[in-house]
Amino acid sequence: MPAAREVPVQLTVNGAPRSATVPARTLLVHFLRDHLGLTGTHVGCDTTQCGACTVALDGVAVKSCTVLAAQASGCEVTTIEGLASPDGTLHPVQQAFQDEHGLQCGYCTPGMVMAIRQLIEDHPDPTEEQVRHALDGNICRCTGYQNIVAAALRAASATALRATASPTAAALRATASPAAAEREG
Amino acid sequence: MFPADFAYARARTLDEALDLLDEAHAAGQEAKLIAGGQSLLPMMKLRLAAPEVLIDIAGLPEPVQGGSYGQSHTIGALTTYRQLGAGRLPSEAPALTDALAVLADPQVRARGTLGGAVAHGDPASDLPAVLLALNAELTIASRKGRHPETHLGPYPRRAGKEPSDIGRREITLDDFLQGIYTTDLAEDEIITHVRISTQGATASAYEKFPHPASHLPLAGVAVVLTYKSGRLTDENGHVTDLADGSIVRAAIAVTGISPRPYRARAAEALLNDAFPTPETLAAAAARVTLESPGSSKRVSLLGDQHASADYRAHLAEVLTRRALAKAIARGGRNS
Repeated sequence: MPAAREVPVQLTVNGAPRSATVPARTLLVHFLRDHLGLTGTHVGCDTTQCGACTVALDGVAVKSCTVLAAQASGCEVTTIEGLASPDGTLHPVQQAFQDEHGLQCGYCTPGMVMAIRQLIEDHPDPTEEQVRHALDGNICRCTGYQNIVAAALRAASATALRATASPTAAALRATASPAAAEREG
Repeated sequence: MFPADFAYARARTLDEALDLLDEAHAAGQEAKLIAGGQSLLPMMKLRLAAPEVLIDIAGLPEPVQGGSYGQSHTIGALTTYRQLGAGRLPSEAPALTDALAVLADPQVRARGTLGGAVAHGDPASDLPAVLLALNAELTIASRKGRHPETHLGPYPRRAGKEPSDIGRREITLDDFLQGIYTTDLAEDEIITHVRISTQGATASAYEKFPHPASHLPLAGVAVVLTYKSGRLTDENGHVTDLADGSIVRAAIAVTGISPRPYRARAAEALLNDAFPTPETLAAAAARVTLESPGSSKRVSLLGDQHASADYRAHLAEVLTRRALAKAIARGGRNS
């Protein structure tokens, strides 16, 4: 494939196939916001520091201001819009933010939620220290982080409870990730 | 904020990536390889870099494979920090785990690659310090005949189905790093593997002083120690344990304070064949910015609005003491 200034981008975004031809320099965050109208993903610092633009790329949290749409072509992207169930039930991390009052202005929240979702996947039972360390790449200028950390801890226990309460869910998780199931006993 | 205009191509094989490099060169265009892009894209957005062609090598199958051979571990250059941290790191090198925990942040670690970290030549990058202390060697691919092929061993050369006109050279990371964003990598070359050697290392640690916003090290120090070990059996069958708590070999590497990460050989010299007394450790740390064992000249130091050269040198000394203490507390003697 020769190098081109306009490149075709094909993505699965929140489960739906999306495609467009865009200038090669288009960043994933702009592709999501400007081409797909998914403005839940925010641009904060634009210098890979604040984490407001965090999305899951093939299931792993990344900063979408530092990924080209072209690099992401062929991948699955989950944004904040893709977390809640179709019936409106919030994702446990979203629910925990509401319960713990984990946001004030809300600008950093989508990125915080996506980063915490990753944390809980990597460490189903995180300590407060692990939560704070995992949020190294996300900046909040309102809350002082206290309630964000509380929300992360609440979301982790809610996720663990859900997994124990539902044998089907536990079985599904075991199939999806034997390592995670092993960790949880 | 977005980069200056460029043309993008995704290479599917090493062969194709080398062709794309040649095409750009023939057209007189500046080309850059991109894998994770966690250092390159921020520079491009600030227009500190404006390559005309970007060749995406993240999907190449070859530079992902790795393996261990004795005390030598070969890691594919496209391995991300996240994969590296989740994989089976050589247990002899906790300094690597230290660095992976404090390098940038989780999202950046999910994309940034080992090869990118060395190819970028950033004077303030965490991993190169640890790699230098672990005597890292790089494998670099190019078209056969363009660069002299070298083989530093001991990992057996990979034979395989790749086109026979791809040649490989090997170079130590110490020789590869040259200066600020300057390395020995030629325009038609691609780093495929990084090999580290633990050579009986028994204790290691990495300590850094991060810039609070960028998380880059204002100074970072990696320490890898090898303790005296082994047993002697004399003709009467008496066994003598040689492990007496003394250090046989010390490797100390410093990043963030100089145009390139460097091995602090003046500090190392004081620790080779020495007992790690508090006085010896402090004396070694005090020599961490000296150019060579016999010299009283300092390495070339960097200073900027974030930290002066003198302050960075001071940090390096303090961090050397801390890294030595941490490594020693962890390692003990080889049992």
